[in-house]
Amino acid sequence: MTDRSRIGHTTEPTTHAVDGWRVKLFCQAIGETDPVFCDPAAARRAGHAACPVPPTFLKALESEHQSGAVLMALLDVPMTGVLHAEQRFEFEVPVHVGDTVEISRTVADIFDKRAGAMTFIVVDSHFRVAGQAVAKARQTIVVRNSVPAAA
Amino acid sequence: MTHMRCPPTLELALGPITAVDLALYAAASGDLNPLHLDADAARAAGFERPIAHGMRTMACLGRLFTDRFVATALRMLETRFVGSAKLGDSLVLRATLTHTEADAATYELSAQTSAGAPVATGSARVTLAAERAG
Repeated sequence: MTDRSRIGHTTEPTTHAVDGWRVKLFCQAIGETDPVFCDPAAARRAGHAACPVPPTFLKALESEHQSGAVLMALLDVPMTGVLHAEQRFEFEVPVHVGDTVEISRTVADIFDKRAGAMTFIVVDSHFRVAGQAVAKARQTIVVRNSVPAAA
Repeated sequence: MTHMRCPPTLELALGPITAVDLALYAAASGDLNPLHLDADAARAAGFERPIAHGMRTMACLGRLFTDRFVATALRMLETRFVGSAKLGDSLVLRATLTHTEADAATYELSAQTSAGAPVATGSARVTLAAERAG
């Protein structure tokens, strides 16, 4: 049973360096071939101070702050029935390789649908660089309560 | 004012999702949920085959914009994962221009399998001001 007392729970911020090798691996994984993301010279030619990160890379960085498994353990939810339902990003300031990003997450809401067959968990993420908000994200997770927990 | 810089549609067709694709995305993203990697875990969760990470689909939707606009043009990206892409599925990703302003454009997004099954819907907003800076 999802622990509703965790609504409002906010993690202690942690900081994460944006590593060029990690960004390169991420680009490879998503088929992103634009050298602007991996080659500092190409980034400078395009007018960037350093390689920018692909839009959804912040979610990968977020997993270092708090993985899905850690979040589900916090909420006392078995992973077996969990699916990602929705995701939203708002990008305010570009994040680049070499930045150090501070991340914190807040459990914004937990609610049921279909007479308790599904529980929705809404989690907000805040991304800051040098004290300035650079992006925010909202993840909605669905727990299918009918799926038996793995042994 | 015309918006020649904003194509009415953007499209990307991706070949069949392989086990290597899913393992690589798991490593790169830090999402190690076995639902995406292991046939038994997928079956336990009610899927006949491992399913692709929703975030992988979303990242590929992001490519619709990084392919066409400057790298930092995207200001908002949201998706609802309405179905699942499974191991072996091919995807068709589309963005359709819905609204333009002086310095921004909004697109509606869809991801479906090549067989037409819906995988994700969503929307995106790009700034055109960044294009000048870029």
